[in-house]
Amino acid sequence: MRIEGSRQLAAPRETVFQRLMDPQSLADALPGCEKLELQPDGSYHTTLKVGIGSIKGIYQGRIEIVDPVPPESFRMKVEGKGAGGFLKGEGRVSLAAQNAETLISYSGEAQIGGMMASVGQRMMRVAAQQIAHQFFEAFARHLALTLPSTSLPEPDDSRRRNSS
Amino acid sequence: MSPKLLGERIKRKEDPRLIQGRSHYVDDIQLCEMVYLSFVRSPYAHAKIKSIQAEAARKMPGVLAIYAGKGLEGRLGLIPCAAGLEGLKVPDHPCLALGRVRYVGEPVAVVVANGRYQAADAAAKVEVDYDPLPAVTDMDKAVAGSPLVHEQFGDNIAFVAKLEGGDWKAVEAEPSVKVIKQRLINQRLAPLSMETRGVVASYSPGEDTLTVWSSTQIPHLLKTQLAVMTGVDEARVRVIAPEVGGAFGSKLNVYAEEGVACFVSRQLGKPVKWIETRRENLLATIHGRDQIDDLEIYFQPDGKVVGLKCHILADLGAYHQLLTPAIPTLTALMILGCYNIPAVWVETTGVFTNKMSTDAYRGAGRPEATYVIERVMDMVARELNLDPVDVRLKNFPPPGKDVVLATGVSYDTANYQKTLKKVLTLSGYKKLRGEQARLRKKGKYLGIGLSTYVEICAMGPSSRMPAGGWESGTVRVEPTGKVTVLSGTSPHGQGEETSFAQIVAEELGVPYDDVTVYHGDTNQVPMGIGTFGSRTTAVGGTAIYHAARRIKKKMARLASHKLGAKPGEIVFRDGKVESQDGSKSMKFGDVVGEAYFAKQLPPGVEPGLVENYVFEPPNYTYPFGAHVAVVEVDSETGEVSLRNYFAVDDCGRILNPMLVDGQIHGGLAQGIGQALWEEHVYDENGQLLTGTLMDCAAPRAHQFCWFETANTETRTPVNPLGVKGVGEAGTIGSTPAMVNAVLDALQPFGVRHMDMPLKPEKIWRIVTRGASETA
Amino acid sequence: MIPESFEYHAPQSLAEAVGLAAQLGEDAKLMAGGHSLLPMMKLRLASPRHLIDLRRLSDLRYIREADGVIEIGALTTHFQIESSELLQKNCPLLPETAREIGDVQVRNLGTLGGSLAHADPAADWPPAILALDAEIKAVSPQGERWITGRDFFVELMTTALRPGEILTMIRVPILPPRAGDAYLKLRQPASGFAVVGAAVRLALNESGHVESAAIGVTGVGPKAYRATATERELAGKSLTGRRLAEAAAHAADGMEANSDLFASAEYRRHLAAVYVRRALQCALERAGA
Ligand SMILES: Cc1cc2nc3c(=O)[nH]c(=O)nc-3n(C[C@H](O)[C@H](O)[C@H](O)COP(=O)(O)OP(=O)(O)OC[C@H]3O[C@@H](n4cnc5c(N)ncnc54)[C@H](O)[C@@H]3O)c2cc1C
Repeated sequence: MRIEGSRQLAAPRETVFQRLMDPQSLADALPGCEKLELQPDGSYHTTLKVGIGSIKGIYQGRIEIVDPVPPESFRMKVEGKGAGGFLKGEGRVSLAAQNAETLISYSGEAQIGGMMASVGQRMMRVAAQQIAHQFFEAFARHLALTLPSTSLPEPDDSRRRNSS
Repeated sequence: MSPKLLGERIKRKEDPRLIQGRSHYVDDIQLCEMVYLSFVRSPYAHAKIKSIQAEAARKMPGVLAIYAGKGLEGRLGLIPCAAGLEGLKVPDHPCLALGRVRYVGEPVAVVVANGRYQAADAAAKVEVDYDPLPAVTDMDKAVAGSPLVHEQFGDNIAFVAKLEGGDWKAVEAEPSVKVIKQRLINQRLAPLSMETRGVVASYSPGEDTLTVWSSTQIPHLLKTQLAVMTGVDEARVRVIAPEVGGAFGSKLNVYAEEGVACFVSRQLGKPVKWIETRRENLLATIHGRDQIDDLEIYFQPDGKVVGLKCHILADLGAYHQLLTPAIPTLTALMILGCYNIPAVWVETTGVFTNKMSTDAYRGAGRPEATYVIERVMDMVARELNLDPVDVRLKNFPPPGKDVVLATGVSYDTANYQKTLKKVLTLSGYKKLRGEQARLRKKGKYLGIGLSTYVEICAMGPSSRMPAGGWESGTVRVEPTGKVTVLSGTSPHGQGEETSFAQIVAEELGVPYDDVTVYHGDTNQVPMGIGTFGSRTTAVGGTAIYHAARRIKKKMARLASHKLGAKPGEIVFRDGKVESQDGSKSMKFGDVVGEAYFAKQLPPGVEPGLVENYVFEPPNYTYPFGAHVAVVEVDSETGEVSLRNYFAVDDCGRILNPMLVDGQIHGGLAQGIGQALWEEHVYDENGQLLTGTLMDCAAPRAHQFCWFETANTETRTPVNPLGVKGVGEAGTIGSTPAMVNAVLDALQPFGVRHMDMPLKPEKIWRIVTRGASETA
Repeated sequence: MIPESFEYHAPQSLAEAVGLAAQLGEDAKLMAGGHSLLPMMKLRLASPRHLIDLRRLSDLRYIREADGVIEIGALTTHFQIESSELLQKNCPLLPETAREIGDVQVRNLGTLGGSLAHADPAADWPPAILALDAEIKAVSPQGERWITGRDFFVELMTTALRPGEILTMIRVPILPPRAGDAYLKLRQPASGFAVVGAAVRLALNESGHVESAAIGVTGVGPKAYRATATERELAGKSLTGRRLAEAAAHAADGMEANSDLFASAEYRRHLAAVYVRRALQCALERAGA
């Protein structure tokens, strides 16, 4: 399954890159992140509560950043498993400077297995896109809140609540 | 006169209790101290099992035990495969995976708990650490050899079987012969019986007996296999198939869960229950079909097909279940259908993939054959611009003649011309063609699809069957004159309690309501094979018929002794046993009394009235039929709507037209379902994508038009009842009729073939592509 | 197919339910008909610790006319809507939509409120709610508020309801004169849900031109939406077959379409255009044009 997208971020490329490499910033930005621990091998162990609407599950996983080319790009490997099955993904994130801002683009392949794969095919792509989207939205908010900037993007938190 | 019973629309004896929910399925069995199983299944299509941690699960409330593959090794036998093909590779198939998993849903561990919910909760807490391996799901890739499903074999080819006949040199030498090459894909399906599988196993340590209730089609075969697997003396194993809510071949098997339930019950000395969830049913009950057929069709300009070559790739899945490899061999056997095609060449390759096993699903290998040959007829007709009716007529053997086909098969009795003619009349075929032409001018696409099938059933002569093809029937007249019938078959919805009672009541001249039919309990029915391959009435019913005749013979002897008549002149009618002219007469019950009170038995006659008969069928039977489907295709969206469906089926003599209609209707729904909607889909990593009924389409009543059914009755000489079998006919005949109809509708768009299911998007693409090409 | 264990609550009044929902917060799920929630719980995709069963709140089950609008209680079942004469007369789009949902058993238990709160991307109610400019009432300890249909659906299975808020009422306008409704869908053969569905309310002015055209579309993207580009094309126009087709061709403009086993994104977009056109045609005929 292919996931891709892009997001304009109101921060210089170097800052964005540095934040993406920073465990604390990541933990802040990852929606539903309950734990993010740096391992000796440079990867992260994480516990995430992710999902869409009522369908939320706790996933234990591993995130690894590979081939970082500051401040341009890196690749990311993600592995996780939980009651809903497992997820394995690999993707590339690239950052393009656009004046004082950054256009961040991501694309990758994810493999979903177990329960999620067998019951969710009709929504899986949309859900995965949405979760990726949520991450970058949250990351944008994180940047906005933590960076001294004049142009804070409007946090659209009020509408992004789950009813169900 | 006794009311005539055979051939009448008699309502099913089974229905009142079933419709009112007053009968017993496996899940209705409640035993004291019963414990429950929940299986931990692999989420990976292919992986090494690194470790299994069950500590946390073991501490959960109500948990009694947890077993994994290692704990069963050497203590519970492997899952059997009965298909004996030359050179067949048979991988070990343990009930719980050992070291490696090979399909999603493969059982890895089992949790035993006091409650069903407790078992499920604990199973979710069993941690299995896997080392994922690349999986193979595509047959072409599997044949190419990597990755390997079973390393020890060095390839993924379980067997290659060849069938060749006729004079190919002559075919190839003939200059006027044309050739079409085409690949057909017969997609994987889920059998989807309404009742999922389930088993209750109860081992009694004191008596050393194992009693098993299972939702199965083959209680006797299962008994033997469970005895072998568990090591319990077969004489101490009893299998009961209680009410079974449909099976369609999927319960013609011996499954891991049955073995494990017996094992656990023996370990713990408690009754054990496992009921399959629908999700498990879709994952880990056998699947059907899944074949690729690469065809070369050799034909002459007049429509005569002179040769057929077919490479069959059959997806067997990761392991062999009971008959897995045997199923595609039936495709090869029946590939010529009802056509006298002088040369045939079929090579069947059974392929291992990282998926659930395929096995018998309604039709089992024959729907694939019929699909091939009926598509062949239509492709030839299309190529030559002939009416598909004419191409069929050209290729039928002459009626009433015994023909041995190039496959070596010779059919029993048939008149294909007659069923075809009847369905053409019934459907108003000529008029339909006229309407089609008119509508096309208006940009509306009506399609008329034909299929004239023949199938092989009444399985079968023991010489051709893996585990015997006979069937047993017992008739016992009770001291009160009521009649008990025991059958070794195991009907599960077909209605043989009704038809068997009809046979016996008619023979003995007693009221239909006085006859009660039992089946499914191995302690009650002395021996049996089961219900599958449209055999129950043709083979099992015949056994009962013969047993009833034996009863009559004995009763005639008793009556003639008493009445001073010759046994040969005794007839049974209206509850009486009497001489032809009625002058010497006894009540049926009085003759029964003679047998049981045994005061004046003729010399050499044993007391009592019980007779058993084991019928060995001399041949298969070959039901046939002709179907016409009429569809409308919405060229803008690609949606297909079924407007009419006409089916003329010849299943030999009809004992109860209502039961025949029921079988045909259900069969049509399943066959049409395959053509239009159903597919059980794995992704390239071996994940099952259609794991719930949200995605796995089961045909439903509201999706169909009213089926117009009719019959011709060509009796078979293979059994004295003249019945052929009808359980699978509807499914076999309807799939190609539907596909032919849709392709007929799309004829203006110049498409020769489309693979099933004929989803609207595929059709839309053809229509838009075709339109842009002609534009 | 066995859920994790949960605590079951059956409040007797709305006030009690609101209190419970607020108190239990994220750990609780409300249950109406249970026909979306329970299947997910049985698959353990949702495992709420508390289940608040709303079905005793029979005062949330009604269809009534009030001040020129129709009010429908959140717990009203699909079947009640399907068989309501009041709606048949005043808002036929709703019964027509209800008839397209699942089968009789589903319609007997599933509720309008539950379906909206669940916001399945292929559900049948959302496009009707959008096309009707319905308003949705939500209640919490902070009081009640009204949410418009357009604001209600946020993204995939996500609505504007806040955690603990209970949807209590749906308010729809009565069919004006010279107006027509229609709902048409392509059914997914397995689930019965909409591959694509189009709900239309079309009102004409006295000269037969479009006074307003409101079009809700489901199944195409992550949430139901209003086909505003098509609506704009139609506004004020007199409708010919050609104009309908041209306008409907924009039915999926700006939408990122979903693709799955049954239908690709491209095909969904195509279906949106076809079904919107057909629903418009049908509504136009019903409007008396
Ligand atoms: C076999 C089957 C076929 C179906 N086919 C279709 C179909 O063709 N088209 C279609 O549109 N739908 C279909 N459905 C879904 C059906 O319409 C559901 O009933 C509906 O989606 C949910 O309604 P419910 O009352 O059952 O809600 P529930 O399942 O009880 O709840 C759903 C969600 O809404 C929340 N919720 C419920 N009520 C409220 C409330 N008052 N306030 C706040 N939150 C609330 C719950 O917490 C839950 O998260 C089908 C369902 C089944 C089982």
